[in-house]
Amino acid sequence: MEYLVVALMFVVFLQTRIMDLRRGVYCLGVQSALIAAACLVIGMSHGGGLHAFLPGVLTILVKVIFIPYAILKVVRNLQDESEIVSDINVNYSTAVAACALALSYMVFDSLLPHFEGRDILASSLFMIMTGLILIVMRSRAIMQMIGLITLENGIYLFGLVMTEGLPVIIELGVFLDVLIAVVILVILTSRLRVSFKTTDTNELNKLKG
Amino acid sequence: MDMFFAAVLCYSIGILTLFAPHQRQIMAHYVANLAAVMGSGLVFFNAWSILASDIPVRAVKWGSYVLTCDGWSAAFLMLTGLAGIIASIYALGYAESYEGKRLRMLNGLWNLFICSMVLVLLAGDALSFLLFWEIMAVASFLLVNHEAEKRTTWNAAYQYLVMTSIGTAAIMIAFFLTATHSASFTFAAMANNTLEGGWLHAVFAAAFIGFALKAGFVPLHVWLPNAHPAAPSHVSALMSGVMLKIALYGFGRFMFDFLPEWNYWWAVIVMVIGLLSAFLGVLYAQMEVDIKRVLAYSSVENMGIIFAAFGCGMLLKVVTDSNWCQIGFLAALLHAFNHSIMKVLMFMSAGSIMHGTGSKNLELFGGLANKMPYTAIFTFIGAMGLAALPLTNGFVGEWMVLQSFITLGHNGLTQDVRLWTALAFVLMGLTGALALGCFVRYFGITFLGAARSKLVERAHESDTFMLAAMGMSSALVLICGIFPGYVIYLLCNALHMSDYMVLGVGGRLIWSGSGTFVTYNPILVAVVLGIIGVVVLYFVVGQKICIPKDVTWNCGTYPTARQQYSATGFSKPVRRAFDYLLKPKRERTYTQNDHSYFGRKLFYKLEIPDMITEKLYQPFNKYFVSASAFLRRLQQGSVRLYVSYVMVAMVIVLIWGAMYK
Repeated sequence: MEYLVVALMFVVFLQTRIMDLRRGVYCLGVQSALIAAACLVIGMSHGGGLHAFLPGVLTILVKVIFIPYAILKVVRNLQDESEIVSDINVNYSTAVAACALALSYMVFDSLLPHFEGRDILASSLFMIMTGLILIVMRSRAIMQMIGLITLENGIYLFGLVMTEGLPVIIELGVFLDVLIAVVILVILTSRLRVSFKTTDTNELNKLKG
Repeated sequence: MDMFFAAVLCYSIGILTLFAPHQRQIMAHYVANLAAVMGSGLVFFNAWSILASDIPVRAVKWGSYVLTCDGWSAAFLMLTGLAGIIASIYALGYAESYEGKRLRMLNGLWNLFICSMVLVLLAGDALSFLLFWEIMAVASFLLVNHEAEKRTTWNAAYQYLVMTSIGTAAIMIAFFLTATHSASFTFAAMANNTLEGGWLHAVFAAAFIGFALKAGFVPLHVWLPNAHPAAPSHVSALMSGVMLKIALYGFGRFMFDFLPEWNYWWAVIVMVIGLLSAFLGVLYAQMEVDIKRVLAYSSVENMGIIFAAFGCGMLLKVVTDSNWCQIGFLAALLHAFNHSIMKVLMFMSAGSIMHGTGSKNLELFGGLANKMPYTAIFTFIGAMGLAALPLTNGFVGEWMVLQSFITLGHNGLTQDVRLWTALAFVLMGLTGALALGCFVRYFGITFLGAARSKLVERAHESDTFMLAAMGMSSALVLICGIFPGYVIYLLCNALHMSDYMVLGVGGRLIWSGSGTFVTYNPILVAVVLGIIGVVVLYFVVGQKICIPKDVTWNCGTYPTARQQYSATGFSKPVRRAFDYLLKPKRERTYTQNDHSYFGRKLFYKLEIPDMITEKLYQPFNKYFVSASAFLRRLQQGSVRLYVSYVMVAMVIVLIWGAMYK
């Protein structure tokens, strides 16, 4: 479990440094796969059965396979701008992410001292914050989508640790939500590309009345 | 109470004519206005019988809502009923000219407006008061906005809506503060409230601001001279004649019932602000060339006088704690009653002038007396009333107001009270003189002299309904001026004061509060004036049977209409005298200058900016806009920015939660 958490943190830090859209999506896939692995580990530690495996399998299906595939399909259409030119230096986002990690540990040490899953909790909050940081600091729509999924993964992990498995119907609902959100975002990104010839969300400011 | 409900039923019939088919709109018009006349008649009759018989009214309860009527509200119901009858008769003729221009809407809203005013006066608890108060505000807003095709109209209407909403907010605060310190929201429970200390001042401030805004006090009057000219004339008549008085009703309700322990400074504030409104109102009235704006500013003036008298009564109560204070309240109530009749009359005559000529610009009139003789006579009587000349009810009201100030000066034994009295006399004197000048100008420029434009030649007299309504109200102005006894008797009942303090034998008014007995006998004045008139007529006309008619000598040139006094020229001396207050902006350019003495063409533009607007509202407006521009930077449509707000909020909550768990 500790190895998983370390790997997760590494992947999330890597996420803040990636400028290339395609590599960003691969990184997201790896991140989701780690979450799925954590999910399976926790499920097994609470005994086997369908309920233990279903969330992990669903995570693999939805977040590891379907979402990266859908995003990659959009990225393939964006021939000339697979390179991100962010207006904010990537080093800043890494630095802010590091602060977020420190903050997460401080918050949970203060709120839940001597909690055995301290590292997992901290890393989940760290993922939530990093997701927000990615949304705020990147201007390309694809990168913001990646940020959103990261945030979503963090919330999922948090729920997993705190509740030790949600009822199946809620798990299904959450996955459906993510699925629909990503479908809509993919469609919106395509429209954005068609309308503005770019997926830079700063262009959306022109819509202001 | 049943008769009041019958009246509300009549108004409801009027409101329902909104749904009449388009082809039947003229029939719907007659039905609606007759319903309004009927309803107002019932209200008037019922209020009169309550005041005359002094039997307490049984309150009607429905859940926590109460409808009731006491002396104070009956006085205002009587005024509403009377003004409603007259204005609705006038509307029978006047509103017909709106055929095809949303006539059914106008009539339906008209009924709703009167009905809501009646219900505000009947309301016996805070919630229904506020509900009907808001219906009144919205109905009057829609009526002001009736000619919404014109840009100025909807500007004025929206300004009115904004201002009246601010006023309602203040009134809500006042009611809320009072009700939270009492058992329930009914007026009866709120009268036994447990307000104390600073809360008393807070309630007073909120109530005063709220009602002063509705009454059009300087500096909260800005909506009034814009809204009144924009509305159809019979609507402005009722807004000015009745709706402003309802502010006095509400304020009196707070002062008499909810805040019976008055503070010295409250009384001074009410009185001084009233006096300043009276003075500034009439000063601006003198400057206007739009006839309805003149009347609107005159309403500001008269509401000022009414509240000054009310404040004087409060001050007398605080300083002397004797029964003499009743004269102030009686004066306020009497002047409110009289002013409502006069102002309805004057707005109706302004409507007739607009109807006859199609303009409301004073500078274009002149010599209208030949074309509209009846309107001229009625306007003359109304103008006399507003200028407070003897034999009109305006004089009776102002006589009473002045007596209350004399009583204050006589009974207030401390220096500061005498100082306030001196201030009151100075301002009342200026107000009276300026009002006289204002209405001499109003009447003279409109009806006398020679025509200043082609409009006058095409002018025509109004129809029977309009003349009947104006005739009724001018008769009332004279009757209440010459025989004021009965009205005063009724209003004394409303205030639960014994009328022996005011009324003498044979219709004389007697007042002994000011040290000596003073008396005003209108019948005697009428007789003396009649004799003087006959004598003067005898000497002037009797001795010169043959009156030679000739052209006025004019240095060898023929006199033209342009050589008369213009409305702007007439008020020039006043503008000079009060230059430092009015700050007029003159612009004069010679467009053609062939010779240095004649043949010059002059372009003259005069602007009297409303100083309150310029010095108070515009800076505030500017500040507000710049503050909004700053806030706009926070919300500028960037999704990333919004997400960062969420993030910052989350971080703050987390840190806060971790620190103070």
